[in-house]
Amino acid sequence: MRPDRTPLTLLLIGAAILAVGPFAPQWTLFLLTVALAKGLVVLGLMMLLRCGLVSFGQALYYCLGAYAAGMLGRLYEVSGVFTLMLAGMATSAFVAFVLGFLLARYRSIFFGLLSLAISMILYGLLVKTEALGSSDGFNVLPSTLFGWRPADEWVRYSVLAVAAGVAVIAALAVHRYLGTPLGRLAPAIKDNEIRVEYMGASARQAVHVKYVIAAALAGLGGALAATTVGHIDPEMAYWTTSGEFIFITILAGTGSVIAPFLGALIFGIIQTVAFDISPNTWQMVLGASLLAVIVFLPRGLWSLFRRRKAA
Amino acid sequence: MLKLDNVDVAIQSVQILRRVSLELPTGTMAGLIGRNGAGKTTLMKSVMGILKVSSGTISFDGADLLASPTFKRTSMGIGYMPEDRRLIPDLTCEENLLLPAWAAKQADGAARLERVYRLIPELRGFASRKGSQLSGGQQKMVAIGRALMCGDKLLLLDEPFEGVAPALAHRLVEVVANLKREGMTVILSESDLQHSERMVDRLLVIDRGTLTAR
Repeated sequence: MRPDRTPLTLLLIGAAILAVGPFAPQWTLFLLTVALAKGLVVLGLMMLLRCGLVSFGQALYYCLGAYAAGMLGRLYEVSGVFTLMLAGMATSAFVAFVLGFLLARYRSIFFGLLSLAISMILYGLLVKTEALGSSDGFNVLPSTLFGWRPADEWVRYSVLAVAAGVAVIAALAVHRYLGTPLGRLAPAIKDNEIRVEYMGASARQAVHVKYVIAAALAGLGGALAATTVGHIDPEMAYWTTSGEFIFITILAGTGSVIAPFLGALIFGIIQTVAFDISPNTWQMVLGASLLAVIVFLPRGLWSLFRRRKAA
Repeated sequence: MLKLDNVDVAIQSVQILRRVSLELPTGTMAGLIGRNGAGKTTLMKSVMGILKVSSGTISFDGADLLASPTFKRTSMGIGYMPEDRRLIPDLTCEENLLLPAWAAKQADGAARLERVYRLIPELRGFASRKGSQLSGGQQKMVAIGRALMCGDKLLLLDEPFEGVAPALAHRLVEVVANLKREGMTVILSESDLQHSERMVDRLLVIDRGTLTAR
C-alpha cells in the first residue's frame, strides 16, 4: 500500500504560501486568496460529485456565507475573521440541513435543477431587499484577527495567511472524512444506490450528510470571499456563479482534495490573463480551455499528477 | 423463521407476485426454481424491501419486515446477493467485502470479514485485486462473501451459479452447501435444478408469480 502523501503535501503547500506571500505582488495575494475561497466551495462540490450528484446551485451557500459574514459586520460591527467565517459556515450548514430533507430525495437533473432554483430564489430575494443594498449589495467591514488589524500593506498577506490555514484544515478534514466508512461509500452511492441500501446504509441519509458538509464549505468560502473582496452583492447567488464552481470542479477533477484549490487557481489565472488580453471576449478563452480539458483530460487537471504517478 | 403471508407485488401496475405465502424455519435451505420472469428476483427484492409490497405481510424472526426500510433489514441479519453481482470495479476484493461494514457502521466488521474468509478461503487469495480484475465466477464469490457480511441469519442468493464456468460453479455449490452447516437460512434461486437439487431442504417452484412448494 502506498503511503498517503496528501496531508504532508497540503501542509507543504500551506507553508510555501506563507513563506512566499510576503515577497509576492499584492495582486497575486488577492488572486490566491479568492482561489482558496472558491476552492473551498469546489471541495464540497467534489464530495457531491463523487456520489454522482451535481449541484447547479452551490452559489446559494456561497452567497449565504458571504451575507452572514457581511451582515454580522453591518448589524453588530463584528469584524473578527474567524467569527465571520464560523457564522458563514454555520448559516449555510443550517439552511442545507433543512433543505437537505427535500433535496436528498432527488437525483441527477432533478437534484441539480432544484438546487439551482433555490439559489435563484435567494438571488431574487436579495435583489428586492433594499435594506441589503438590492442589486448593488454592500461593503463588508474590514476584518480583524483577534481584534488586531494589520497595517495596510500587510492586510492582503494576513487574509491570505488565514485563508491558507483554513483551506489546509478544511482539505485535511475532508481528506480524513473521505477515508471514513461514510466517505468511502461515495463510489457505491454513485454506482448504485439500491446496493448501498441492501448493504445496510441509507443512501438518502448519506447524501444529506454530504450535502450539509458541502454547504458548510461553500459558506466558509463565501465568508472568506466577502472578507477578501470587501464587498458582497446578489450576483454571488446567481446561476453564473454556480456555473463557475461547476466549471472549476470539471477543470480540477475529483481525484484529490488538493485538486479543487489547484483548479480554482488555474481558473483565476486563465480568467485574469484572458481578461487582460481580450476584455470583450475573455469568456471565449475560458470556454475554449474548458473544452480542451474535457477533450484531453476528461478526469480533470489532477489526472496529470495521477498519470505521472502511474508512469 | 421467514414468513410471507399473501404477498402481492406489482411493478408499474403489472402484477408480478400473486398471494405468495411461505414459511421457512431457521436453518432451512430452500431452492427457488422458476423460468425467467417467473418472479424469483421480485420475491427476493420484496423480502429485502427493494420492491414495495402492495398487500400481505413479511416477517422475519417475528419482526415485521415491511415496517423497516431496506438498510435496516440488513441489521436484522439478512444478506442479499443480486444476480448481477454489482461489485465496485475500482475497489479491491477486500474493500468490496468491507462495504457492508462501512455502510452499516458494523463495529465487528473485522470479525465478520474473518468469518467470510473462513467460509470462502479463496477470497483471501485475491483480497487485494480490484473488482474489475476478477473473473465472473470470482466476482460471484466476492458477492456471496459481501452478502455474508450482513447476512448471518438469512441469505438471499439470486442465481449464484448462473454464467459461471462449471469448475467454479462446483466450488460455489460447495460454498453454499457449507452455509447450511452454519445453521443459516438460505434461499437460492435458479432457473432449473442443475446445481441446487441435492443440497436444498425445500424446493419452491414459482410460476407467473405464484408459489408452489414441492
